[in-house]
Amino acid sequence: MTKDQIIEVIKQNIVDNLDDVKYEEIDPQKTMKDYGANSLDMIEVVSCSMRELKIKIPRTELADIKNIDELADKFFEYAEKN
Amino acid sequence: MPNILDFSLADFFYNDNPDVLSPPEDFEEWINHPRVRESFRFFEQQLLEAPRSGSRVWSGVDGEKRDIINLTSYNYLGLSTHPEVIQASKDALDKYGLSASGAPLLSGTFDLHVELARKLAQFKLQEDCILYSSGLGGNMGAMQGILRKGDVLILDEKSHKSMVDGGTLSGAKMFFFDHNDMDSLEQKLQQAKGKRTLVAVEGVYSMDGDLVKLPEVVSLCEGYNAGLYVDEAHSTLIFGENGRGIGEHFGMEKKVGVSFGTLSKAFGGVGGFVCSNAKLIRYLKGYSSPWNFSCAPSPAVVGGLLKALEVATRDSSLRDQLWKNVRYLTDGLKSMNLDLGGTQSQVIPIIIGSSGEKLMQFAAELQRRGLFLQPVDFPAVPANSRRFRISGSSQLTKEQMDSALNIIEDVIVKGLRTGS
Repeated sequence: MTKDQIIEVIKQNIVDNLDDVKYEEIDPQKTMKDYGANSLDMIEVVSCSMRELKIKIPRTELADIKNIDELADKFFEYAEKN
Repeated sequence: MPNILDFSLADFFYNDNPDVLSPPEDFEEWINHPRVRESFRFFEQQLLEAPRSGSRVWSGVDGEKRDIINLTSYNYLGLSTHPEVIQASKDALDKYGLSASGAPLLSGTFDLHVELARKLAQFKLQEDCILYSSGLGGNMGAMQGILRKGDVLILDEKSHKSMVDGGTLSGAKMFFFDHNDMDSLEQKLQQAKGKRTLVAVEGVYSMDGDLVKLPEVVSLCEGYNAGLYVDEAHSTLIFGENGRGIGEHFGMEKKVGVSFGTLSKAFGGVGGFVCSNAKLIRYLKGYSSPWNFSCAPSPAVVGGLLKALEVATRDSSLRDQLWKNVRYLTDGLKSMNLDLGGTQSQVIPIIIGSSGEKLMQFAAELQRRGLFLQPVDFPAVPANSRRFRISGSSQLTKEQMDSALNIIEDVIVKGLRTGS
């Protein structure tokens, strides 16, 4: 699993869970908030992505993540361990 | 799970166990870990006496039955054990029995319920009031009854779960603004422009004890034509010259569209109530499920609550005593240089920081020393500000407060200093 593939998974879950967001428009340097996500939406996107990637990361480790790219880095770190 | 202790209840909400009647497989592994079990010892401990400022607890820490000074119960004005309240409750029990035996619409409305609702509406300077059997049901039912898909609910990020759940149930789009940040609120109001919008805030925030910036929130709501909902769970009977709450405290009661309160905190009973204009309350009675489809509050509780309202409002003595105690406790804690966050109320956090281990270690020691002060851990509060949360009470004596402060100094202050 590459980081690009992980970003694809996250982007697809953003599209599935948020209104009016197009896949091609999502910039990993931005935050989910920039695409209208509230805190419940973010939990949904993160949880669905982790399920799909078959990884589990404690929520406490995700508190300081600033954008989608950093989230993908964290996912990649765990995916590599599996 | 190699890093099992980094996990919390926040991590097991989604369940992918193929057996729908089982929790996630790793949840079992996590919750049965000895260190995790240790932190759960503090939950569901049994109180063996009434939740007075001095009570008795069957400790989950060491299995001892122990007299304790109680800094955790919500019995802010001591009304749950006030002799007149207890007598009124007994009288109602004798006359009406234990249960309302029906939902309010068909057979569960007694003269007592009508009287309490009328008096609460008068007290809150609103036209009408609807009573709920639980506080959570009230908040959830009001949100679910008022809002629909296509509407927008804007909440302070520290709003109680009952409002969030009500918003989810309603199908409205939910925006969360940064806590007490008016720029953030305005940004969300901009985003919601053109939609029916409700802004929901709390009078006193339950984990931090700070107040809503009501004048600024009112002005923004007026500017954007949004409705205003204020949850006064922790402020009713506590704030304002007459105890009417945060609306009265800021002199802005007429600007509050919906005023919510619980009957389990300062009132000393159980339930919730929503006050607003008569037309909205009438409408809610058609669509608010926790009212429509739940048994009405127990008449024994309602009888006690009528007396509790009378006792708390006939003069300011209980409220004055509470504030005197809050000042005494706060001054004592501040002199120890503890981090009390931004508290402005009887809800006083003692913020420990990011160490869950330290929080639980202090919590166990506090209890062994006879202080019932429960820990509040992530995810209920952010992981970097785990805390204890004091609920001030008018019942606390100076001796009890001095003992409590001594124990806090010995356990928390010294513990933080030595890093033990």
